[in-house]
Amino acid sequence: MDIFTILISTMFVNNFVLARFLGICPFLGVSNKIETATGMSIAVTFVVTLSSVITYIIQVAILDTLGLEFLQTIVFILVIAALVQFVEMVMKKTSPTLYEALGVYLPLITTNCVVLGVAILNIQEGYNLIETIFNSVGASIGFGIALILISGLREQFEILDIPEALEGFPITLITAGLMSIAFLGFSGLV
Amino acid sequence: MRLSKVFYDGLIKENPIFVQLIGMCSVLAVTTSVVNGLGMGLAVTGVLVGSNVVISLFRKVIPDKIRIPAFIVVIATFVTIIEMFMKAYTRDLYNALGIFIPLIVVNCIILARAEAFASQNGVVASAVDGLGMGLGYTVALLILGALREVLGAGTLFDIQLFGPSFEPALIFIMPPGAFILLGILIGVFNHILKKKSKADA
Amino acid sequence: MNETVKLGLILFLITAISAGILAISNEATSIRIAEAERLADQAAKQETLPNGKTFEEMDEKLEEAIIRDNPNITEIYEGYDGDELVGYTFKMNVNGYGGDIEFMAGISTEGKIMGIKVLNHAETPGLGANSTKPYFTESFRNKPVDQEVVAEREPAGENEVQAITSATMTTDAIVEGVNTAREVYNSTLLQ
Repeated sequence: MDIFTILISTMFVNNFVLARFLGICPFLGVSNKIETATGMSIAVTFVVTLSSVITYIIQVAILDTLGLEFLQTIVFILVIAALVQFVEMVMKKTSPTLYEALGVYLPLITTNCVVLGVAILNIQEGYNLIETIFNSVGASIGFGIALILISGLREQFEILDIPEALEGFPITLITAGLMSIAFLGFSGLV
Repeated sequence: MRLSKVFYDGLIKENPIFVQLIGMCSVLAVTTSVVNGLGMGLAVTGVLVGSNVVISLFRKVIPDKIRIPAFIVVIATFVTIIEMFMKAYTRDLYNALGIFIPLIVVNCIILARAEAFASQNGVVASAVDGLGMGLGYTVALLILGALREVLGAGTLFDIQLFGPSFEPALIFIMPPGAFILLGILIGVFNHILKKKSKADA
Repeated sequence: MNETVKLGLILFLITAISAGILAISNEATSIRIAEAERLADQAAKQETLPNGKTFEEMDEKLEEAIIRDNPNITEIYEGYDGDELVGYTFKMNVNGYGGDIEFMAGISTEGKIMGIKVLNHAETPGLGANSTKPYFTESFRNKPVDQEVVAEREPAGENEVQAITSATMTTDAIVEGVNTAREVYNSTLLQ
């Protein structure tokens, strides 16, 4: 599959949030403000790309050669957890402002299914290293697009008259559904 | 602490989906039919009970500083075991749920219960908590799965419910329908809980 | 002992125990998984070529040559009833609407399509996913191999099969795949 197809497919057609349902927790949790959504997207892109490359190398170099494929889940999640810890430490030292904005949510990246999901999908789809990198970047950008779009809409909710029972998450989910309908328009593109 | 209260909390009062709003990914993704929803719910319940019990057993041995990675290892072990057995004995279900089986590892419910309950309570209470939360999760999956299957495909448990003239609203079985229906369901649940707490007061 | 080293060792110990447990359960389930896979494969062959009792992979050189010319085909098996060759099963990968569709088609030595079965797909539920339903797969049964198969909404002719409503790409992908198998049978396998 060529690289351009992978990018378009992961960003729009099979958008990780709106079509594949990966990364719903941060999609609902960190989408109050455009600013934090943008920061989160950047952090996720960084972690996803880095962890995909590392997990890919581990899979090919260690798990496949030793016949230990059944340890995939446990090894991948440990690598991701360690990596997130590392990114957190670096961010704390180099950019305290960004750390303050994302501080609470950074540990949550570990349990963001986009990260583990992309790592596993790269292996399942039989991608090579280059395709793995593009798939990861595309997936994270797709996640970022969905996150930033919905945060822009949620900022408008404050001035709207929403039924009491639907305030907060319910109306966000319904909005996400409407966005997902819009994204259906991309299907068949690749 | 009364065990029945722990169970009730998990099932209704602190229902992971409708009240705590965690672990949404798999809820939205696998509920294209009741059977898939039920299968996923039971798999998560199994992991939840298993990891809760083990973590509660070793809660005094595991050093506080490395408890999160230790919990993750325990959870990942249970998930992998369940994955192996599903692959061996329920192949169709395994194929239908696909990547969402290994992704149970990062289902926030499981780590949240390990951290908030199992690491502070006894084995029996932790098992009951896992069971309650797991069933609460399963019920949510069942409701959403049933609604989507009936509205989107006109079937329930793969049995045709309506005559041939019934045109199912396909949108409900596709991704947008999952978001919209879950949003409405949580809204309804909110409304009922609010009414009830007002009546209690 | 250094605190970090101690914590690291404990975590390593936990991971090692987990890996051990997983190795044991892998040992316990791997035979069963392989068996389940074999049974599923066998059942698919049986379903697409009901008159075959035993199945054997066809001559490797010929199979390789066919696959080189028709990259959609991934595997061809010969079906036998006793010593008599009764037909072939073709495992194929075609490009549907939501990605690859893997399916199997059986052709008998009497020159008839005996059946098809969709094994793996990522088609839209309610639309392309209906390709697994009998109303679609059964419509291929007993179609002659010497005519091109075409999908129609209301199949009437001898070579017409049931099209899936609102899933043209899925239907076309599978029909095209079946036609490939048909051509391979006519050009290479028919003696």
